[in-house]
This record gives sequence, structure tokens and C-alpha cells, in this order.
Amino acid sequence: MSNVIECNDLTHYYGKKMVFENLNFQVRDGSILGLLGKNGAGKTTTINILNGFLHPRSGECLIYGENSQHLTPATKARIGFLIEGHIQYAFMNIHQVEKFYSGFYSNWKPAPFWDLMAKLKVTPTQKISTMSCGQRSQVALGLILAQNADLLILDDFSMGLDPGYRRLFIDYLREYAKSENKTIFTTSHIIQDMERLIDDVLIMDYNRVLAQCPINEFMTGFKRFDFELENDEVNLKNEKFVANLEMVKNKVELYSYETKEFVQQFLDNHGVAYKGFKQVKMELEDAFIGLTGKY
Amino acid sequence: MWKSIIYKEWLKIRFFLIGFTILGMMGIAYLFLKVQHEFTFSGGGNFWYNILFMGMQFFGYFKFIPLSGGLLIAVVQYFPETIDQRIKLTFHLPLKENNVLLMMHSFGAGCLLLSYLLLMVVFISLSAIYFPSEMVYDSIVSVIPWFMAGFVAYFFVALIVMEPSWLYRIMYSLVGGFFVTIYVKSPVIAAYGPAIPGLSLLTILMSVALLFSAYRFRKGEM
Repeated sequence: MSNVIECNDLTHYYGKKMVFENLNFQVRDGSILGLLGKNGAGKTTTINILNGFLHPRSGECLIYGENSQHLTPATKARIGFLIEGHIQYAFMNIHQVEKFYSGFYSNWKPAPFWDLMAKLKVTPTQKISTMSCGQRSQVALGLILAQNADLLILDDFSMGLDPGYRRLFIDYLREYAKSENKTIFTTSHIIQDMERLIDDVLIMDYNRVLAQCPINEFMTGFKRFDFELENDEVNLKNEKFVANLEMVKNKVELYSYETKEFVQQFLDNHGVAYKGFKQVKMELEDAFIGLTGKY
Repeated sequence: MWKSIIYKEWLKIRFFLIGFTILGMMGIAYLFLKVQHEFTFSGGGNFWYNILFMGMQFFGYFKFIPLSGGLLIAVVQYFPETIDQRIKLTFHLPLKENNVLLMMHSFGAGCLLLSYLLLMVVFISLSAIYFPSEMVYDSIVSVIPWFMAGFVAYFFVALIVMEPSWLYRIMYSLVGGFFVTIYVKSPVIAAYGPAIPGLSLLTILMSVALLFSAYRFRKGEM
């Protein structure tokens, strides 16, 4: 399967502050990749570089083989872009905004836009600026769907949405992407949303990639083990198999890609006394926090 | 695609453009109402004496009309693009970024030109009622640089509004203010006659300044 996006050795700084160095990742054709990271980890910076709104200090991002800093109009026509906060031309109403965009795209399909608009309780002449955040999200989503783009880049699509609109947005988007074989690159600060939507996950921490793999592989491979230490002065944090460790007094949350048997055998072999050892089932949000740490 | 760009720009500026044109016409009508008042209540002789020997410009306030028009249209056309960085939407359209901006800019300047032409027609028509053709001609030569100052204001305010950095905005404001004063400095009637070709060239050169701010935005300047 070919890659739609390829970012190679991407390095960027804001002044002297490094955002990331030698970042590499790919997005497969027809897949939905979720970029997860804490605030300030570089999610929006990555999106801005992908859309040509920021020159990286070094490295490059290729979209359909073209450098993202110099995309041709034909390639831009293949990319739907959702700006953080569902920004659109707020001085237009839904008829005006549909009329405006339809002039740019030869394979414009208005039906999905009007399907979504029919669900909104807005008047035909109501300006987008007077709509609620949820309504604006549906306008932005409808426009991207009507554009019939091959690649959708969504920057924090869940921002400001209540649970109902988030669910509507995700279900509509996933159904559309899978039935039409679209590729999606998305970020969201609400991790639960991602679990329903994405195929692949890319987890960034400050200046490095912590994980990039199919989400199923991540959720089965990355594990949490809880136990109590007899001696709370034992330090396991620097052991190779430990991805992260959270400890309150003698209660331990240990995160690792290794199996339950491996971890138990390690503790036994090293004479670490413990009790109450158990593997804890995790949702994506737990796994994300487990990997990146609570702070 | 250019039709869609024109459509968007028109939605932003239409009410302001029409409002400005109507107010501009009313402003010009007010100038000539004052002329009529002078003729009626102060006597024609006194009024002519002031024009011929004291260098009075009866249309002096007219210089602020094109200037305010350029400023207004630039703000209403470009400010909405900067709210929440909506210019990203415009740059993402399947067109070359500079081409989109030049289309937007040409349309804005074209609308301003149309409005200015209407104001000019009103100004010339009313001038012709009260003054001989030599005087009308000199008045036209006097107000042409003021219309150019309107375009300069339009180009510079667009540049300032689209600029991502406040430091650069302040710098552009100072430079823009300096350039505008060149066009409106002399109070002597028809003094700018020989300078009009040079000022026209300068105005055209300034029309592409906006591309620099857009380039800086795409580079990621804050």
C-alpha cells in the first residue's frame, strides 16, 4: 500500500525551543491516522507544515509525492482541510458558502453537504458567525465531504463540540472514509473520540515519536500492570522493558510492551517482593496517559 | 474559480462600498452646497478673490473622501481573512497562493476605482455648474493625486492587516503614512500636474506589497 503522506527528518524550532527533531512518519493510502500528543507536543505545528503554513527548519513532508511547501493546485484540490475550531467564512450563510466552494472543485458533490445541513436547525439566510460551535462543525464537515477530497487533514476536530455532535461527526466521517476509501490525518485532544475513528495511531511527546502503529496492535501490545511493592524504595523506572511507571507510595502502575509473564519473571528473578499483581485493561486514553505520563 | 473569488470578496465589501460611495457623493454635494452658500450670502466677488488671489481650494476637504474609502475597503476586505487565521482557507484553495491574493486585490482595487469614478463624475458635473472649464480642469488635476492616495491607503492597510507581526505592522504604518502624505501635501491648485505620471507609477508599484505579508504568513512568521 502506498503512502499518501511522508514526513522525513522533520525538525522545527520556535526560536531556541525545539518542537521536534528528525521526526519521521507516514500515512498509508486509505487509512485513518490519529496524531496524539499533549499540549505543546507539536500537533498543530505538524499540521501547519503539512499545509504549507510553516517552513520547517529542516526535513520535508511529501503529500502525494509533492513537497507540502509547494503543493500544486491539482494536489491541493485532493486535500480537504479542517482548521482547528471548525473555522469557515463566518460572513457567509450555508447557501453562500456552498456556492463559493463549488466553483473550485470539479468533482464537487453537494448531496452530503445538504444532508448534514438538513440535520441543523438553521435558517437559509443565517450567517455562519451566528451558529453554535456544533452547527459550525457540521458546516465545515459537510464542505469537506462535498469537496470529495482524497485526503482529509483535520486539526482538532472535537474542539468545542458537545458529546452528541462529536459522535455525529465521528460516525459520519468514519462511514464516509471507509465507503469512499479516503485517507484521513487527524488530531484531537479528546482521546476517546480517536478510538472510534482511527486505524493507526501516532503518539508524539515533546520532540520525539513514542509510538506509530495500527491502533489494534498498540492496544494489544501496550499493557498496564498494577501491583504493590513490599519495599517502596525499589526503582524499576530505568529498566529497559518499562515504558512508563507511576508510583504512589508502594502502589505501582507499570506500563510495558512486554507480557505479564515476562514482567513477573523479571520481578522474581531480581528478588523484588510484590503482591496483588494484575494486568489492567485499558482504553486508548489510559494507554496514552500511560505512555506519555500524567504530566 | 475567479468568479468564486469575486463572489466572496463582493460579499465582504458590498454594503461598505455602496455606503461609502453614497456618503462620498453626499460629501461632494455638501462641498458645493457650501459653494452655493458663499455665492449667495458672501457675494461672488469675494469668493472668486479668495480662489484667484488667496489660493483657496473650495474642495479642500475632498481629499479625505478617497482616503477614507481606501482605508475602509481594505479593512472590511482583509480583516475577516485574519480572524482565526481564515486566510488559511483562502491559501488552501486549489490555486497558486499569490494568484488568489492578486485576484482579491485586483477586485478590491477595481471596486474602489469604480466608486472613485462615480465620485469623480459627480464632482466634475457639479464643478461644471459653478466654474469655467479651466477651473474644472485644474480641480481635476488637483484631486487625481488624492484618489491615488486612496489607492495607496488601500494597498498599505491591506498589507498592515495581513501582516502577522505587530512590529512589522507598526513599521508599515509609518511607511504608509509617509507615502500618503506625499500625495496630499501641496495645497496649491493643480500643483501635482507634472508629478501625476510618477505618482501613478509609484501607486502601481505599491499594489503588490501585499504579497510580502502573505509570504511571511506562509513562512510561519508570528
